[in-house]
Amino acid sequence: MSEENWIEVGSTDSIEEEDLIRFDHQDKTFCVYRLTDGFYATDGICTHEAVHLEDGLVMDDEIECPMHQGIFNIKSGEALSPPACEDLKTYPVKVDNDKIFIKID
Amino acid sequence: MKNNIIILGGGQAGIYAAREIRQNDTESNIKILSEENLLPYERPPLSKDFLLDKKNEDDLYFHSIEVLKNENIDFENVLINKVDFEHKKLFSKNEDVYNYDSLLISTGSDNKKLSLDNNLNDDIYYLRNLEEAKIIKEKVSDKNKITIIGGGFIGLEIASSLSQLQKKVTVIEIGNQLMGRIIPKQIADLVQNTHIEQGNEIILNKQIFKIIKKNGIYEILLNDNSIIETDFVIAGIGSTPSVKLFENTNLKLDNGIVTNQFCETSIKDVYAAGDVCNFYHPFYERNMRLESYQHAQNHGICAGKNIAGVKTEYTSIPWMWSDQFNLNLQLTGICYDYDEIIARGNDINNGVIYFFLKNKIIKGACGLGIAGKVGRDIRITSKLTEKNTIVDKQILSDQNQKLNKLIQKQ
Repeated sequence: MSEENWIEVGSTDSIEEEDLIRFDHQDKTFCVYRLTDGFYATDGICTHEAVHLEDGLVMDDEIECPMHQGIFNIKSGEALSPPACEDLKTYPVKVDNDKIFIKID
Repeated sequence: MKNNIIILGGGQAGIYAAREIRQNDTESNIKILSEENLLPYERPPLSKDFLLDKKNEDDLYFHSIEVLKNENIDFENVLINKVDFEHKKLFSKNEDVYNYDSLLISTGSDNKKLSLDNNLNDDIYYLRNLEEAKIIKEKVSDKNKITIIGGGFIGLEIASSLSQLQKKVTVIEIGNQLMGRIIPKQIADLVQNTHIEQGNEIILNKQIFKIIKKNGIYEILLNDNSIIETDFVIAGIGSTPSVKLFENTNLKLDNGIVTNQFCETSIKDVYAAGDVCNFYHPFYERNMRLESYQHAQNHGICAGKNIAGVKTEYTSIPWMWSDQFNLNLQLTGICYDYDEIIARGNDINNGVIYFFLKNKIIKGACGLGIAGKVGRDIRITSKLTEKNTIVDKQILSDQNQKLNKLIQKQ
């Protein structure tokens, strides 16, 4: 894992617990989540239809798409409830000096 | 115990029931009998992305045949035309016999048809299944002026798609607002404004008096003597439960197949799920019939559990959506029995939601916004509704305050 792929998202206090922020980098868009046990990141766009998950509901370890209620596990990206059936890509996250970084491949 | 389980109807409720049964019962034979020679597929895209060529037929199927094979679920294309509940048998048109121990009826609903007093019934098109969507898609390709009779979800979704295909669209609705059967007027008016802004003509409060065909062009005469000239007519005027097969049996019917909260019908070992049911909802303490994606899915799953012996009440709070142009409309709960309305937001770019309360308890909400903007709050409303929450109206009406706070207070 080369260091240069870790991209700074922002400070840890920029996300409330059980919530998410949208993060755009170059031509890609992501969701970065703060759960009770840490920070996580996934692709930003729902795998069902092209809508951003930034307006979705975070409950426990799950993100629910705001358009058609497809549900994904935030930690694994697994599609848990239809209409979503394709998993969501996840990304490694680390926190360093109160700053969040995600590793984009 | 190994049973023969037959699912009559290969739509969404049927496939979800089949897979749920298999999750809980690895022994029994499960067979789906479907009138359509197609694996179960998603219907919502038919009026939208399918017409717009953004999705093709292969994108619509819930599962491949391999998934069904792996789960040992049989699928057969057959038209059943007789039922013998006493001896637990179904008969096909070709007189094949299907024996069952448990039967799930998930036959869905049929289009209500316009009744015209001339020979033009075949000239009116409807959209409920893939075949009908294909025909409309092909037929409208060289037409310009399209008239849609009925301003409900399906009519307006088709109107939105055809407008995006540069057609000149007119929608004729008999009621005094669009989507009047379920959607509050405040939201219906916002949807209407969008259609008009996009160039669609919306005619309310008008009844079709007559349709005449002249040189390949249709003249639609309305009850105020006005005439709409059009190249093609589509009607979306509601649906009726598909119960024809059971009309002369002792299965209890009343606006659909009457079921209790466990998807059980009046006949032992016969269950029903989805659009075809008039089901008892324990939360509302009354029967209701719903035609929506969420209901077909969740009711199918609930029926599957009960058939497999996992006794489960159906308690889903109703939720539905419609996508028109770049807008996503959502409704949860019940928005017609209220004593107070609270608005949240006033700009559809950020989402507009109306909450419906009775005795300070939130009963339902309906919202409209650019795709994605109302979903989270509508979902939270479902959760507040099912818990009979007395809500802080200040938070509801202030778009700067997150509704999650209301859940966390529980």
